[in-house]
Amino acid sequence: MSSAARPARVSVISAAVPVAAAIGVFGVVYGAAAGPVFGTSLTMISSLIVFSGVAQFTMVALVAAGATPVAVLGAVATLALRHLPLGAVLQPVMTAGRARRALVAPFLLDETTGLALTAGERAERAIAVSGGLAYAAWVGGTIVGLAGGTFGSIEPLAAALFPVLFVGLAALTAQSRSDATRAVLAGTASIAFLLLWPAAGALGAIAVAVAVSSVVKAP
Amino acid sequence: MSLSLLIAAAAITIGSRVAALAVLPPPRGPVAALVRRLPAPLFAALAALSLSGNDGSAALPSMLAAVGCAVAVALRWRSLLLILGAGLAGFLAASFIW
Repeated sequence: MSSAARPARVSVISAAVPVAAAIGVFGVVYGAAAGPVFGTSLTMISSLIVFSGVAQFTMVALVAAGATPVAVLGAVATLALRHLPLGAVLQPVMTAGRARRALVAPFLLDETTGLALTAGERAERAIAVSGGLAYAAWVGGTIVGLAGGTFGSIEPLAAALFPVLFVGLAALTAQSRSDATRAVLAGTASIAFLLLWPAAGALGAIAVAVAVSSVVKAP
Repeated sequence: MSLSLLIAAAAITIGSRVAALAVLPPPRGPVAALVRRLPAPLFAALAALSLSGNDGSAALPSMLAAVGCAVAVALRWRSLLLILGAGLAGFLAASFIW
């Protein structure tokens, strides 16, 4: 590694570690929740091959409620739509070819997208590093949850880390006053929208961000 | 829940990620302009999503304090670690008070 690249990489790792720790805490919660519904083996496999907290928690809720497989897959497909804007935002800053982008694609998360956009190094490497840490934490957390472990006292802290992280990523990606204006508008409008329609979830929030970006164009 | 259903769910999730990063063409024209404006509002919206409970319930005071401190620091310093630290400090202070 060149000396010039080292500080940026350290920066990605130092930002990704607390995020991975919070993801690990939710992995514990997932393991504890999914174990009685899916069984130990399928819970473990789900974290290994799906690696999507929101999709996996949704599957647990739907299966526990007796939903059909079609309904489960429909919900998963709807949630997967959020990857399209994340990919669109990342593609212009990625320098690798399609094969390398496909290799890191399983690590495409809200958090890794933000870290890749704000890291001072190649986006694909930032996704690989932060995504790899998050994946290890998620799978490790699932194992702990299946084994009966809990992080009860620090779950609220882990939950608080995500909005704080996204505030930081919004601040770092705001390059101009108009960016900041759009961020404030999108944050405020999303809170109002989600209070009125909680079921809109991530897709609703992303739709608000896209709407604000479409409407508020110039400084 | 069956293994085949899990595999199908994984195919949808991972497939959508691969499509978004490696299959779909990069945005062009008006869409590219929109995408350039998207990151900051996108993360602000995700912050709002993380702040609001899945059931629309109000956030905990400690979480609000964490976000408030993070916003206050973000207005002045552009350091993710500093912002994370401020959020942690706000959370701990609020937890101590309440």
